Amino acid sequence: MLLAGLIFFHLLLISLQVPKGKEPTYFERAFFAVFSPVQHGVVSFFQDLRKFWNNYFYFRQVRRQNQEMRDEIFIVRQENQVLKNLLLKYKDAREIQDLLSAISRSILVSSVIGFDSSEIYKSVVLNKGSLDGVKKDMVVLDKRGRLVGRVIAPISLKQSRVQLVTDEASGVGVFSERFKVVGILTGNAEGKCLMKYVLKTNKEIEEGEEVSTSGFDGLYPSGIPVGKIVSCTEDATLFKKIIVEPYFDFSELDQVAVITVDLRGLS
Amino acid sequence: MRSLYEAVLGIILAVVLHTLLGKISASLLFLFNTFSWVVLYFSLAKHEVFGAVMGSVCGLLQDSFSLGVFGVGGLTKTLLGFSTGYTSRKINVAPPVRNFVFLLIVSSIELALWKFLVFFLFRERLAWGGGLVFFQPLTTALIVTLLFQIMRRVREEGS
Repeated sequence: MLLAGLIFFHLLLISLQVPKGKEPTYFERAFFAVFSPVQHGVVSFFQDLRKFWNNYFYFRQVRRQNQEMRDEIFIVRQENQVLKNLLLKYKDAREIQDLLSAISRSILVSSVIGFDSSEIYKSVVLNKGSLDGVKKDMVVLDKRGRLVGRVIAPISLKQSRVQLVTDEASGVGVFSERFKVVGILTGNAEGKCLMKYVLKTNKEIEEGEEVSTSGFDGLYPSGIPVGKIVSCTEDATLFKKIIVEPYFDFSELDQVAVITVDLRGLS
Repeated sequence: MRSLYEAVLGIILAVVLHTLLGKISASLLFLFNTFSWVVLYFSLAKHEVFGAVMGSVCGLLQDSFSLGVFGVGGLTKTLLGFSTGYTSRKINVAPPVRNFVFLLIVSSIELALWKFLVFFLFRERLAWGGGLVFFQPLTTALIVTLLFQIMRRVREEGS
């Protein structure tokens, strides 16, 4: 009797999500809101422990890291200056200053506190939520400014979920860097992406090319690097089979940047 | 009441271990399913009713940390908890080797059922994690057998 009741309950839960892609049910939101703080707590505890270890017992490492970071800041400053100068060709100094200050205010640094429990390439959980200003569809980048995904529901007070570009259900408008061949990028369930809807007749795309966001999807701003084409083959269909290796690395995905403003409006 | 505390502790431990494994390496989540460990352990220790309820809670919890269809994990883990608890009451699966083989079979069936539902009903591509997922029933059976045998020894020595 109990088993029948539980099975009926689960089938009811599953049927409530038809059609697929609807907003999460209250039940799902409640589970996420109750248990995601546990993940948050665990990750915070171990991060604090690591900080303690690094701060008090591992000075040698700190010194080396300090030097590395100084070098990196130097390079980043130089790069920043060169880009500012390049921008000056197109816009006046005040416009650029406004643009840059708006962008720097809009970056919310966040830690990844959990991976998808069923298939890791689908989503991650962040330690920032609605209280930090995180909203649905905000763009998420990795440490080097490369596309990771976008924020999706459910968003709890201090945690949120990000749909990765490697998720099969995701869709990103992209183009190849050299000849601006346009396509739609989706995940292939194995940690890589497929660039879809590029016709076989299109000869202007090849392996090794970089793929960036096109902005045509109305969601991601244009020009964010996404990945590199690792394979470009043809089969019986009208379209090429293009496999793209995303730039973001799962092993380095401990910290990400959530962009809290609509960059499309700023550019 | 004690059983309830144990169950809550088990669920929290599953979430903690799941988080830690993901932080060590995301690929480890293909190999280890901490939610299955809790369901199987409680099904063996407290039989079918407790197993089915733990299966529901842990399955839904697993679903809530995933982008997949909410309820599929709950459904398969409910069946896992109930069938493990019911079978362990009918036949003696306490000896270590028998325990391991039994757990290997039920966790393989649960994984196959879950993949079947995801693939055939919801038309989603399956992630195999470079084949790592095939070893998940093996690691589950090994860890739960060890845990169950240790707890059995502790209880025997305590009484």
